[in-house]
Amino acid sequence: MATMTWQGTNYGTQLMVLTGRSLRKFFNTPALIFFSILQPLIMLTLFSQIFSSITSTANFAPGMTYVNYLLPAILVNTAMQSSLQSGVGLVTDMKDGVIARFRSLPIRLSTVLLARNLSDSVRTGGQLLLMIVFGVLVFGFAPAGGVLGTLAAMGLALAVGWALSWVFLAIGAWVRNAELMQSIGFLAMFPLMFASSAFVPTAALPSWLQAVANVNPLTYAVDASRSLALAQPVTGVVGALVTSLTIAVIGAAFAIRGFRRPL
Amino acid sequence: MSELMIEASNVSKTFGDVRALDGVSITVPKGSVLGLLGHNGAGKTTLVNLLTTMLPPTDGEAKVAGFDVVHQAHQVRSRIGLTGQFAAVDEALSGFDNLVLIARLLGASKRQAQARSDELMEMFDLTDAAKRKAKTYSGGMRRRLDLAASLVGRPEVLFLDEPTTGLDPSSRLGMWEIVEKLVSDGTTVLLTTQYLDEADRLADSITVLSQGKVVASGTSAELKAQVGQRTVTVTLESASEVHAACDALTKIGMHPVSEGLTITTPVAATRDLATIVRALDDNGLEVHDIALGEPTLDDVYLALAAA
Ligand SMILES: Nc1ncnc2c1ncn2[C@@H]1O[C@H](COP(=O)(O)OP(=O)(O)O)[C@@H](O)[C@H]1O
Ligand SMILES: [Mg+2]
Repeated sequence: MATMTWQGTNYGTQLMVLTGRSLRKFFNTPALIFFSILQPLIMLTLFSQIFSSITSTANFAPGMTYVNYLLPAILVNTAMQSSLQSGVGLVTDMKDGVIARFRSLPIRLSTVLLARNLSDSVRTGGQLLLMIVFGVLVFGFAPAGGVLGTLAAMGLALAVGWALSWVFLAIGAWVRNAELMQSIGFLAMFPLMFASSAFVPTAALPSWLQAVANVNPLTYAVDASRSLALAQPVTGVVGALVTSLTIAVIGAAFAIRGFRRPL
Repeated sequence: MSELMIEASNVSKTFGDVRALDGVSITVPKGSVLGLLGHNGAGKTTLVNLLTTMLPPTDGEAKVAGFDVVHQAHQVRSRIGLTGQFAAVDEALSGFDNLVLIARLLGASKRQAQARSDELMEMFDLTDAAKRKAKTYSGGMRRRLDLAASLVGRPEVLFLDEPTTGLDPSSRLGMWEIVEKLVSDGTTVLLTTQYLDEADRLADSITVLSQGKVVASGTSAELKAQVGQRTVTVTLESASEVHAACDALTKIGMHPVSEGLTITTPVAATRDLATIVRALDDNGLEVHDIALGEPTLDDVYLALAAA
């Protein structure tokens, strides 16, 4: 027998190998790919049809098509949903014993989380690109910001998703229960989404909802992404990025602490 | 005295008010096999978790391969392999990819990782299933893959937590042969089991754990001497004859214990079986069933309690 032994490797290789593993796992699971595309697509289709005539009301700028208004919100929302899957994926790995195996290896535990976050960001990026392509080809998405504005809007959505992925990784690392995670995620996201500027301008909402929407962070994220895509005067992009970064740092700190606790 | 690869002194672990381990000390010399014997809840997994750096001890110290499990966890992890009580494989990846992943994480190049994985799949008779997702593996295959995964880095010390529980007899035998092969290659092994015959076959020395404490330790022969070797179990046709049968056995120098229709008695040799049959027959007692049993963990506990 050869006597070569390996006793560990550097941080970068660990990160690369673990990220590759998460991505491979995703591409190995057709159902996961299918639903991660289907869900935002259904949302894009339904909302663009249901609300298509709403742009003739006073709260919309003249000449604005609804899909141009909607798509940036879909991007932010898709990134948000995807970040929830990040946490769920971590919990699933913990349950399957994969994490137990990693723990017995000479690797830094935080790399497991970083890799999860990184691979999920790559996956989210793919999802967002697909939504944009669908939007352009099927629904006539043609925002004033052009390709650059759209990519910037996508980048902002990605930053929001990246930050929230840390939040859900933290929740997952502490709660360690996939069903509970799904419920928490749904309960948190569903109202946030509707009580915001995602589907209609806040001015069109009943006054109490308007009050909620005005303090809803999602409103700011969507507005920032939208202003980039629509080449409007850019509002709150820096604020959204700084907020995302702050949330990510805090989330990561909690995630790593929670993850270090024994299984 | 050869180098100690595992050394635990007085380790304790409490979970709330459960004292899972209570002042346990063990030593395992390089190249030997320690069998950790105990029923469910005895503390076997907790001790394994402690020694493999998965859990910090509440009290006491432990060294594996010369490194402290708390303060030098990374060095310990570079030298051990762990096959836990529950298989730790990535179900969505193929068996082969599972092994490659671990080899890569340990620092092997792509080529080396694939070569090592091929070698292990071959060794564990998984080559035909190498490209299939681990999800599709049977229980026995999954166990083998899990063991293979813990061997990727050629660990100096291997921990096996109940490696054969739930396996069918032939998979069990296969697992024993694999362990024997590893040991012959010089690996130090700590294995936990609920079965005395398994510890007997594989272990150089045995430590019996009960409610978090070491209640006995020694070589298999020493333990068996305490246990009183094997037992014969006689099942009678009628309850009215149990008393007479016990008397008959006592007369020929046995120490029978009855429960319902069955009578159990320790024996020194296989030929005692014939003596017992004759004694019962001479007294005209109707025997439904008679069996010679290997001592079990229960017998060890019983003997220890009696001592
Ligand atoms: N994480 C835990 N939290 C609380 N109690 C635990 C935990 N792990 C083990 N125990 C308790 O510690 C005792 C020993 O358990 P364990 O080491 O798993 O035994 P074994 O592996 O011998 O079956 C049991 O009473 C078990 O219920
Ligand atoms: Mg156990």
